[in-house]
Amino acid sequence: MSEANTEQELIVSRQILSINQTFSTGPVMGRFLIELRDNKRIMALRCSANGRYLLPPREVDAMSVTEGDEWIEVGPGGTLREYDVVYYASPDPLTGETRDVPYVIGWVNLDGVEGIAPLWHLVEADDISKIKTGARVEAIFAEKRSGTMEDIKHFKLIEEEA
Amino acid sequence: MSKNRNVGIIGCGMSKFSSHREEVNQPEMIFEAVEEALADAGITMDDVECIVHGNMELFEMVHQPDMWHALGTGTRGKSGVRLTTGGTTGATLACAADNLVASGLHDVVMAVGFEKLQEGHTTGGISNMADPLWGRKLQAGALTGTTALQMIDKFGEERAKACAMKHRVIMDEHAALNEKAHRCFNLERSFITEMMDASPQLVGELRMIHMCSQSDGACVVIFASEAKVEEWKKKAAWVHDHETVHREESIIFTEEKTTHRVSAERIYARNGITNPREEIDVFEMYDPSSWWGLHWLGEFLLLDGDEHLQMVENDEICINGKFPVNPSGGVVASNPIGATALVRVAEAAMQVRGTAGKHQVPKPVHKALASGFGGTMWSTLMLLSDEKLNLEEAS
Amino acid sequence: MGKRVAICAVAQTKYESNKWQQRMQGLVWEVVKDVKEQVGLGFGPREIESSVTCSDDLFDARTISDNAITDVVGAHFQGEEKVAADGSQAVYYAVSQILSGHHDVVLLAGHCKESQGASRNQVTHLAFDPFFTRPIGLDYLAAAGLQARAYMAASGVTDEQLADVVVRSRQWAAKNPLANAQDAVTREDVMASPMVADPIREGHVYPVSDGAIAMILASEERAQELCDNPVWITGLGNCYDTFYLGERELEGNFSLSKAAERAYKMAGVTDPKAELDVVEIADQYAYQQAQVAEGLGLCGAGEGGAWLEAGGPDAQNVNRSGGMLAGNPLLMGGLARVAECVLQLQGEAGDRQVAGAKRAVAQGSTGPAGQLQTVVVLEN
Repeated sequence: MSEANTEQELIVSRQILSINQTFSTGPVMGRFLIELRDNKRIMALRCSANGRYLLPPREVDAMSVTEGDEWIEVGPGGTLREYDVVYYASPDPLTGETRDVPYVIGWVNLDGVEGIAPLWHLVEADDISKIKTGARVEAIFAEKRSGTMEDIKHFKLIEEEA
Repeated sequence: MSKNRNVGIIGCGMSKFSSHREEVNQPEMIFEAVEEALADAGITMDDVECIVHGNMELFEMVHQPDMWHALGTGTRGKSGVRLTTGGTTGATLACAADNLVASGLHDVVMAVGFEKLQEGHTTGGISNMADPLWGRKLQAGALTGTTALQMIDKFGEERAKACAMKHRVIMDEHAALNEKAHRCFNLERSFITEMMDASPQLVGELRMIHMCSQSDGACVVIFASEAKVEEWKKKAAWVHDHETVHREESIIFTEEKTTHRVSAERIYARNGITNPREEIDVFEMYDPSSWWGLHWLGEFLLLDGDEHLQMVENDEICINGKFPVNPSGGVVASNPIGATALVRVAEAAMQVRGTAGKHQVPKPVHKALASGFGGTMWSTLMLLSDEKLNLEEAS
Repeated sequence: MGKRVAICAVAQTKYESNKWQQRMQGLVWEVVKDVKEQVGLGFGPREIESSVTCSDDLFDARTISDNAITDVVGAHFQGEEKVAADGSQAVYYAVSQILSGHHDVVLLAGHCKESQGASRNQVTHLAFDPFFTRPIGLDYLAAAGLQARAYMAASGVTDEQLADVVVRSRQWAAKNPLANAQDAVTREDVMASPMVADPIREGHVYPVSDGAIAMILASEERAQELCDNPVWITGLGNCYDTFYLGERELEGNFSLSKAAERAYKMAGVTDPKAELDVVEIADQYAYQQAQVAEGLGLCGAGEGGAWLEAGGPDAQNVNRSGGMLAGNPLLMGGLARVAECVLQLQGEAGDRQVAGAKRAVAQGSTGPAGQLQTVVVLEN
């Protein structure tokens, strides 16, 4: 680089680049989303090859590399397996909006699941310091549902009686 | 499985790493690393047959950037392949360059990894890796506090936190020796607790100070066939082996082995390594945060219990320690993501070739290991040596 | 090449303009399941040892697009590496994995859903640098328009000839059950279609397409065990041109000629006019069929117009699949060409079979106006 650069103004070009997308849901994820929307039911897909539950249901179970073959209703209650308390205000890549912090994302093993198949979602509590591994939570459904993961608003911490 | 022919690394180059590279565009930044690697190898572009190129498109929002970057990589008239695998991209590029030379398709291959993170939103770009139907609203980039929580549970809060910070400070001490390092804070060992408490929490106990930088930068590594290495009389870091272990899309927190441990087990088994702490002289690890760096040290070395914590506590991983880790300062010092895992290979090769300058480890380096990390806990390892493989014996 | 690599199995989805019924994972699973069943292998030692996938983060609108595909290719705790370019490049790389001695059996799986984004031209627009060429509004279609004008002038290719290329593509596509654009068109239909990037007409452009392809590649010793009719990859070559369109000889074949030269040398092809039984060209736009024919040496430089006039495409069995003009998504264009060559060499090409085909060549391109070219020679 020439020495002139030390004095030169460096122009940067600011561009917002986006391309509208239409994501297919397919028959598997699609069925899961329809059940959320129409019936407020959380449906897991079980693979008989290894007994694994898929949540959310996907085309193929990565471990047995087979398709799931049995739909089973699970939840809405569950147990928190792991969680992250997020203090860093990252933008929602779908909307560009920045969330209020702190918020909690959790991996919830729903009642009725055999084995481990945690569903990833927001966890809310009046006092987030009470959110712990092993805590009981329950799915709270949105009033207006449109066939997306946001049809579950979040999982709500169930406060244990002291 | 036996290698078709030997492959040696004969040149490494890196651009300046910084969060502000407004004075260069992408191909210009790449060219800095190309020039340095060619000079290091003592060859010219005419000697290079093939360029492998990689980064992560959604950071800079450039589609098929190898096209534009032909201006900086010098690939006109040459062969090439573009590969990307997320954070592991640089490691994949090294594996690909090794494969392309070992296959006999090419004699000299140049691997080019780059990222100009300043030109996009890093955490937003990473969050786009989650499925748009079920995970994208939840992903907070590559930030997670789960490892910190697990280590605190396992080793106690005070010890786990002190160890993660000690790891951070050692990396910073190493970065001070590496003129290419993006950042060095001159952290002091005596103020570990104060530094941690003063640093903002990102996710749980993962704090700003634990986390890697966001860097602009490019890395270039030149791989050559044994015939070329001998013809040109070069000191080479010979590629003994590499292993890539990806895993499924979802993170489920079972007791399954980590990909880090599995990739290490496989590469050690194939190469007759029974005691990696004794047999490997230096390790360049892709450590995106001090918590992960600490945890994965145990995984890559197949350790049990708290041995990896002890290695940090007793300074074993320091540049002059028994098992030096990241004499370059590692990823917490510099992280141009698409280049980062290739930087690990370059740094390991520099240690084998004895060209690491002020951060050269003060002991003979016969074997060096480099790791790449990306995706949903993917791991790639490359094993380098100062001796070429005896292929007749192997077959 | 000392050792040889074979393609032992191939599967393709039906190509369609909007496969909205499936996620991309569903498309890839369909073809991966198929090729795994063909060779009877899963993932693991002495089975499939690694996978090469082919996709693009911007088309998928997903960082690390292969992270979405790991599950369906079966690479959980296994190797997977993604080539982000035309699928012929994925073949190039997969061959190196095997010839290097690192793996014996490799699964290749590629996909692209052009329909997912509002416009594929918005995606390819982003291949241009943000300072000089994006503000002009370039995308791959616009770049091809510049190339088409330069090429047609240099090689005497006419609007009528381009219309005939499209008519012929549809005739063959009607015999290819997987092709997207199968409806017959007339020369008049094509010539009446509107200009989209003068001299490129709407009828000259490959239709927006979705699809996925999988293959199993294997070393010589494993290939014989895995299938009865392995197709050998005997030559490979690729080459880049420079980036700025103004600095390239757009009417020429700088990168394709070099790619072909490398592949032919490896395969021992000395006279491509006479020694190739099947030719598959990734003609995204009609003019490219003639331009690529020049680059592959099917006719001399500047003779593309005469070659079309003399019935070169029929004489040299070019694009019996219908070609890319019949509709493959970007990224799958060259890989679909390789797939068609495999079917032809296995004698599995149905009503479009070239009798007694022994040697085939597939071409693929990546980038604006064919900046990166890939050539693969295959033999049975």
